[in-house]
Parts: sequence; structure tokens; C-alpha cells
Amino acid sequence: MKGKKLSLVSSLLLALSALLIVASVFFPYWKMVFFAPQYPEGLNIIVFPNKLEGEIDIVNGLNHYIGMENFSAENFPELNYLLYIMIGLAVITLLTAIIRKKAMLYGVIGLFGILGILGVYDLSRALKKFGTNLDPMAPIKIDPFVPPILGHNTVANFVTESMLGYGTYFLIAAFILLLIPLWKDRKR
Amino acid sequence: MKKWVPIASGLLAGFVAATITFADFSKSTNNQVASGNTKSDAEKVYVPFGEKDDYYLFASGGHSGQMFIYGVPSMRHIRTVPVFSPDSATGYGFDEHTKKLMGDYNWGDLHHPAFSETNGDYDGKYMFATDVGNSRAAAMDLETFTVKDIINVPNTSGPHCAAFVTENTEYMFLPTRFAVPIGSEYKSLDEYSQQYRGVMSAVTFDQDKDKLNVAYQVALPPWSYDLSDAGKKESGDWAVMTTYNTEEATTNLEINASQADRDFIVLFNWKELEKMVADGQYDEVTGQKMIFPEKHKGGIYLVPVAKSPHGVDVTPDGKHFIASGKLAPSMTVFSFEKAFEAVKNQEFSGERNGIPILKYESVMEREVNPENALGPLHTQFDDKGMAYTTMFISSEIVKWDPKTGETLDRVPVQYSPGHSVAAEGDTVAPDGKWLIALNKIAKDSYLSVGPSHPESMQLIDISGKMKVIQSSPVNPEPHYAQIIKADKIKTIEVYPKDENNKLATYKQDEARIERNGNEVHVYGIAMRSKFIFDAKAKRPDVIEVNQGDKVFIHLTNTDFDEDITHGFAINQYDLNIEVQPGQTNTIEFTADKAGTFPLYCTNFCSALHQEMTGYFLVKPKN
Repeated sequence: MKGKKLSLVSSLLLALSALLIVASVFFPYWKMVFFAPQYPEGLNIIVFPNKLEGEIDIVNGLNHYIGMENFSAENFPELNYLLYIMIGLAVITLLTAIIRKKAMLYGVIGLFGILGILGVYDLSRALKKFGTNLDPMAPIKIDPFVPPILGHNTVANFVTESMLGYGTYFLIAAFILLLIPLWKDRKR
Repeated sequence: MKKWVPIASGLLAGFVAATITFADFSKSTNNQVASGNTKSDAEKVYVPFGEKDDYYLFASGGHSGQMFIYGVPSMRHIRTVPVFSPDSATGYGFDEHTKKLMGDYNWGDLHHPAFSETNGDYDGKYMFATDVGNSRAAAMDLETFTVKDIINVPNTSGPHCAAFVTENTEYMFLPTRFAVPIGSEYKSLDEYSQQYRGVMSAVTFDQDKDKLNVAYQVALPPWSYDLSDAGKKESGDWAVMTTYNTEEATTNLEINASQADRDFIVLFNWKELEKMVADGQYDEVTGQKMIFPEKHKGGIYLVPVAKSPHGVDVTPDGKHFIASGKLAPSMTVFSFEKAFEAVKNQEFSGERNGIPILKYESVMEREVNPENALGPLHTQFDDKGMAYTTMFISSEIVKWDPKTGETLDRVPVQYSPGHSVAAEGDTVAPDGKWLIALNKIAKDSYLSVGPSHPESMQLIDISGKMKVIQSSPVNPEPHYAQIIKADKIKTIEVYPKDENNKLATYKQDEARIERNGNEVHVYGIAMRSKFIFDAKAKRPDVIEVNQGDKVFIHLTNTDFDEDITHGFAINQYDLNIEVQPGQTNTIEFTADKAGTFPLYCTNFCSALHQEMTGYFLVKPKN
């Protein structure tokens, strides 16, 4: 195992990656903006790793007309532990930077990738759940719908725009930093 | 060696991180301002959708008891704010707070509005107004455009000569139009000169507690006090007001109060009066600290002036005060500096009721008499210190230079202007640009609505030669108005949550009905599009009480969203209140009528507003 040590530069890049992961938790990961004729300024649902922000109560108030469940921290148990997962990921990345074992780096990259896929899956599951699980007693009946993770969608008088938050961009940058040592310390 | 790959990737990652951290993604705004001097009259008053007026106009509503809010220059009516009269549209005078403010009165005569000031300039925090009809004063909060307090002013009957505030809103003074005996007691009019008084009140406003309070009063002679203004800058400790009926006539004032060639301007130093009160130089009458000028000497002087003047206005630099003659066809410019000198040298020509009279010649600077200008009433100022005086009888505005007396410009208005108001035109720093003539007679100006006519407000562009460029009908009756730069007013759109308010209910499952003997307290929620009075009930939107119960409904609007106001009315119970976004409002009444009464939201709130209903059931006593 001795020969598979990462270079010092790679180690620094990994440390920087850990830093970016930590930084990401202070920014939103994803958000959806609702526009309507009466709301030209847009209503926001902003998802942080540990909380929801934006005009949640107003969006919920409006969504009850179509029988959609409330967006709330209770409906997103992920928000209770996502923050710790991200911190854990940062710690593991930092440990990899310190221990500088290439095998460990593979592990981190794999873990990062799995978490990324899980994240996307979780979000699309939530969107599907909210869009298709409408209360049949709702005053306004509309066909079930699934808003996309990115891009816009039209429901009744609302146009929604979904987009990644800065936090996610930080994670993407962190992931790129993880990949660089693979190239840099490739077998010579 | 492909060393550049990691370097480039690292840089890329760095740039991505830096960009999203520091870059400004907000759309760049492009503020293109059309050049003003090329605009037509129509373009000057046209404010397209999406843009807003530059100024607010607060026009007094006279005997409607209301305040009218307009935008300038569009002259669009934006809102009517009830002040001294109940208003079912906003539930004013129906909910507990405003019902208490109303007292037992059903109307008021809102005369002269005045903004709170800091250093002699409007600060955009409060608007004060007086009620000539029932002798009250009110304070309106400009975060919400709602009245916070109303005070009954004792010993005074009809504070027409108000309100004017001192430079830093230390006091709002309320001199009166009608003289009455102290305490409004019964006294024969034959004893008018001995027993009647024109009591002036010094009112303070506590901005933390939203409370008006009478600090002290002055038992001035039994004359009519017409209009007033506070000094500015070097004259900041002083104030002036006009008088008529110094003849002390008690009947047919039209004739009998117009006999003497001269009436007076009362010049007083409020800092000195304040000190006299602090030193105990007052008598306690009817629970008020009352200064009797014949007994507690100092601080008050009389300046002779051509008979029956209306307005008296202090120039923006605080150096002069200008009396408008009304019955004398001239304006008189007086000098504060000369007045102070005369006071110092005791150049008195006598006294009335123990108050020294200054010599006219030693205070007067010039008399200004524009040709054929009749009935000068009130003066405003522009950014260059030029004066604009309304001529009631000759129906025009005359622009003139207070420093030379030269007439500079004049423009006819339709018809009979009482006051006019210029943009921040009574502050230390007027804006110029706009002047609005508040005309008493609209006559043939608008489509006819029968014998009762609206009043008329005419917008005059004073940036160059004066020109009337817009005319707006207005409900009776603007006596005076204030124009304030729009950006000075910072409103809120939603009432913030107040967790300390025990009457508020923010969580739906906490909506409840509590009974205590024959008192029923409803802690309810109004939200798009339902009422929740009792979250656990089979029908949460129903209130059921027994006949004779005292009912308190504490309703919270939990839509914390701009312009989502709910109303609450019960059929046949003659009540309606408004709950603004985030607000908790209480209504209190006795369920004296047994029966079934639908209740509903009166303020259109949502697509299902029509469904926002419930029932108020009153079980009959057997």
C-alpha cells in the first residue's frame, strides 16, 4: 500500500474541497420560485441542508386550494440530518487529505457520488409526492403533475422556476477538486 | 507533461466558487429619466403603471372627519384614512381600539394637518390633525396610515388655529377658534369679556407609547384664533398666530368682528412658557396647568396687523412671518429679528388683557399689495424662498418675493382657493416644483352630480411660469394639506407577529372559544379562505352563544401576505371590522338578538372569498 500516497498538492486540493463542502451548508442547495399574475415578484421555496426558507406560509396557503400537502420542516425529515451528513463528508474528505491514501480518495469520491445520486432521487421523490398526492377534497381540482428539478413548469396560474442554489455549486466545485488528484497522481 | 490540467481545473473550481460567492446576479437596473423640460402638460401628470408618484398629498377632509391621500403629480386618489369619523369600510370606530378613540362622537371636522418634524423638516413618521367640530386632536402613524391616538382637548372649543408642530415635534399647539368659559361652563354672553377665554393647548406626543397628552394650556383673551405657524431656525423657539374678533363681539360676527382696523398676531415663546410651567407659574384649573397671561407674565406679545387676517406663515429661513390680510387686500411681512429687538427694548404701545402690544412700525418690514389681488388667505414657499399666496376673492395664486415685495407671477384658479400647499412648502427646505390650490368652489369644473358639488384641487407647475396642469375633484373639504416626498414615508405591508400579544392566535390548532360566565372570548383566525374560531369543533367556523352573552371576538389574520386583508361582519348585528395582514383585532358586543346570523368576510380576499362564511348562533333566553 505504501506507493499509493497522494502528493502534497493533491492533499491541499482535498483540504480545499472539504472547506467548500463546509461552506456549502450556509447556502441554499435548491430553490423553486413561483410566479403568478398577482405575484410578479415571485414566491420562494428555498431549501437549505437544515431548513426551508422563503414565503413558505404563503405558498402553502395558496397550495391548499389545489389540495397540496404543506411544505414544512416536518415533511422533510432529511433536513434533520442532511447537515450532519455534509459535515461528515467534509470530515472524511479532510481526513483523506491528511492521511493521503489514494484508496481512501476513491472511497470519498464514491461516497460523494452516491450521496449526490441519493440527493437527486430524494428531491425528485418529494416533488412527485407533492405534485401527485393531491387531496381529492380540494376546492380546485387539477391533474397531478411533477415539477422538474431544474427548469420551469406551469400549474394553473403559476409558473414555477426550479434552480440549483449556491450551495450545490459549491458541492460541484468540491467534487471537481476531488477528481483533480486522480489525474495529477495518476500512474506514471 | 500535462501539468496544466490540474492547475486549470483548480483555477476553474476557484473561479466558480468566487463567482457564486461574490458576483452580483441581480439584474442591472437602467434608470432612464426623460428630460423634464420637454414634457407636455399631459406627460407631466401621467404616471404609467409600474411607476409611482414622487409625492404624497395629505389633504384634510374637513367635515368628513377623514384624511385624503393623493399622489402628486398624478393627482390620483390613493386612500381615504378615517380619523374623526367612523368608517365601515375599514371597521374604524367598530373595533375595540378605534371605538375607544371615537368616544361618543360620530363625526369630526378635520382642519389642518401637520407632519411630525425633525429640525424643521418633515420626518415622515406621524401626521397630526385637529377636529374643529368636537375639539379633538389625532396622531396618525405613517407606517400603517392608521390613527393611534385621539385626545379630547378640554377648555377649548374648536381648535381651528391648529395643528402646527414645533421644529422637533416637541409640541403641537392647538389655539381655538371659539372662545368659551373655562370648562365650557354655562355663562351669560353678557359676561363674554370677563368670563370667556380663547384657551390654547400645548399637546405632546409620546412616540414610544403612541399617546397624546396636554402639557399645559394658556388662557388667552376671548378672541378667535385663526391660523398659526411655528418659527424656524433662529425663530425656532417662537410661534405666531392670527386673531380676529378682538372686538369681542358676541353676535353677528360678520359685521361686528370686522369693525376694528387692526387685530393682532399673537407672538409667543414656547420655550419660555414651558419654563414658566416648570417654575410653577400657572394655576391648576379643571385638572390642567393653565397660564393666565394677565397674572403669569412673560413669553406672549401682540403684534398689530391689518384687520381680520387669515394665515400667518413663517418663511423657510425663519426670519420673517407673513400675515395674509383676508379683509385687507395686502400681505404684511414682519421681521422676527425686529420683534425680538422690540421685546428686548420693551417698545410697547400698550397692552390688552395684560399682554404687551409691540409697536406695529417696529416689527413690520413691508406691506405688499399686488394690484387687484383680493382676499389673501394663506402663503406657501418654494425652494428659492418665493411666496405663493392664495387670493380667495380674486380666485388666483400670486407669486411674490418676500424680500422686495415685488409681484412675480399670478395664475387664475377655479374657484376661490382657501389654502394652497406646495411640495414641503411650510418646512425649512421647500422643494418647489408643485403647488396645489385647494379650491372651495368647483362649480362647473366637472361632470355634474346635482346641487351638491365636490371641491377642487388644482395642480400648478411652479418650476417656471405658473401653469395649472391638472384638476382633481375631491370630497368635502380640504382646508389645508401637506405634500411630502414619497421616499420619506416607510410603510409596512404586513403586521409582524407579536408573540406577546395574548389576544393573537397564529396557529390554527390553537383557535378556541373560551367561556367565562356570560362572557365569551373567541380567539379566532381569518385566513384564505376560511374562519377558524374553534379548531376542535365539528364546525370550526361557527360561534354559538346564549342571548345576553357579552361576546369578544379576537381575530387574527394569519395571511402574512401583502394586500390580503380580511373583513368580518355578522348579519343584522350592525358591525364590521377589518383585519389587515398579520393583524389581531378585537370586536366586543352583546348578543342581545336571539336567532341565526350568517357571518362572512367583507373584504374580498381570494377566489374562494365568497365561501369564507360561517354562522353566529344565539340561543334564546327562555
